[in-house]
Amino acid sequence: MAGVIALTRAELSRLAHNRRYFIFTVAFPVILYLLIGRQVSAHAYGIAFGAYYMISMATFGAFSGALNGNAQRISQEKKEGWIRQLRLTPLPANAYVITKILVSLATTIPAIVIVLLLGRFYGNVHLPGWEWPVIAIVVWFGSTIFAALAVAIGYRFAPEQVQPITLIVYFMFAILGGLWFPLSGFLGKVGQFTPTYEAVKIGSDVIGNLAVPAGLAIGLVAWLGIFVALATLAVRSTAESV
Amino acid sequence: MSQYETATAESGAYGASHGGTPVVSFENVSKQYGRLRAVDGLTLDLRPGETVALLGPNGAGKSTSLDMLLALRKPTGGRIRMFGADPYQAVKSGRVGAMLQSGGLMPEVTVRELVELITKLHPNPEPVETTLKRAGIAQFADQRVDRLSGGQTQRVRFALAICGKSELIVLDEPTAAMDVETRRLFWNSMKEEVAAGRTLLFATHYLEEADQAADRILVINRGRLLADGTPAEIKARAGAKRISFRLDRVDEPFLLGLPGLVNLDVRHDVVQLQSSDSDATLYAVLDAGYRPSEIEVTSLGLEQAFLAITAEDDAANGTTHAEETN
Repeated sequence: MAGVIALTRAELSRLAHNRRYFIFTVAFPVILYLLIGRQVSAHAYGIAFGAYYMISMATFGAFSGALNGNAQRISQEKKEGWIRQLRLTPLPANAYVITKILVSLATTIPAIVIVLLLGRFYGNVHLPGWEWPVIAIVVWFGSTIFAALAVAIGYRFAPEQVQPITLIVYFMFAILGGLWFPLSGFLGKVGQFTPTYEAVKIGSDVIGNLAVPAGLAIGLVAWLGIFVALATLAVRSTAESV
Repeated sequence: MSQYETATAESGAYGASHGGTPVVSFENVSKQYGRLRAVDGLTLDLRPGETVALLGPNGAGKSTSLDMLLALRKPTGGRIRMFGADPYQAVKSGRVGAMLQSGGLMPEVTVRELVELITKLHPNPEPVETTLKRAGIAQFADQRVDRLSGGQTQRVRFALAICGKSELIVLDEPTAAMDVETRRLFWNSMKEEVAAGRTLLFATHYLEEADQAADRILVINRGRLLADGTPAEIKARAGAKRISFRLDRVDEPFLLGLPGLVNLDVRHDVVQLQSSDSDATLYAVLDAGYRPSEIEVTSLGLEQAFLAITAEDDAANGTTHAEETN
């Protein structure tokens, strides 16, 4: 455990110097919210547009942060032999992956907090006190799903393949999940099965004081299960080549 | 180098208490990649305090053997023990420090930050400053890891291998990418590590390094152990002297019957032969009444010995080695 903490600290201090990470996780959602978030009369998902867009931008920042930075880094570190180097130390075998997920959980926090603050003070979103932490936790939990996917992609693919793969996944889950704008029609129906949609919808149902359908929560957990399984498979099957 | 005083004072802290248990033991270990048998029935023991060189041509199975020893790969057959336990446990308990060519470094941090991190992972760490000095990286400890030269990177890797009080050190081609002077400094500091009672296993293709640094050499080829002995024994085994002379009437059948003969090459009146006992060979020529001229007896280096041993093995095996079992 001490090893995981030491490695997590080192990773976080590396990340603090990384500009790309801040652009993806914080700058994009903040700019989008500033541009589009304050539409006073509009509604989406049965709640005020500003509230919906706050949840979707928090989810967007958290999910793209968990996915983009991590998959690329893991793949690069695998290629350069850093993972191999760590395997030669007393650090337990699974500590590297645990660290990556912890770091990912930590790095999504700024995006979530900043976007929620923006919603409250720029978008005029007014909620009962308990709903803020609930929304933050739903979005945060949703991002762990993508931390697991990032591990799967990073272990399985070479760095130059990771870039296009994460871009496809990124656009697919952002657009189909209705993060940038709410979908309707056929795409809207398909999009309802994405974890990004599920996270945003749970949050907006909480705000709209609706009963959260069990299907949404089950969906999120199922996605987590699938991506964790993919990640485990990827780590195991590459054990001899890492 | 005064920097080493702390470690020599602790002499005996490494390995000395292990009595009969070998530091490393391979029992009939094999590794199969698809149809390729990279390691083929390897059996060997390393004893505490030994400095052992692993020699072999490219593709001989050196890296695969070290990978299996360090629990990076699993043997297809046989059993490997380190300090009498499973290699994974030995690695995780910090009893072995290793440096592989394929080992990468964390970018975007300074050398000191990296050494501090790996040191923290050790149950029994050395002080960071000691490690920096021993590895000769103190003067660029504040530089970023991704901005170092090849030789500097190699020394940082070495630092990561010695930052804990490990009893066994495993190094794969440790001086690759180092210039001659750095290489000399490296081996000087390495000798001091070993003097503190550590066991050292290193793979190299610089034969003079093995000759000078190792007290035991393992020659492997095609995944099998061909020779195991001191540098002197390895040289002797390969027919360590070359004799050449001129002779007017060459009688090849006679020459082929000479004692100690390992290899014979006749061109016109020039005879070149390799012998495991040059005195006996030469006396036999003289005793038979021949009076050769321009006699030269030269010692073969380890390199020729090594080439002779592996060439002999390649010739004997051709393409059939994959079917053999040991």
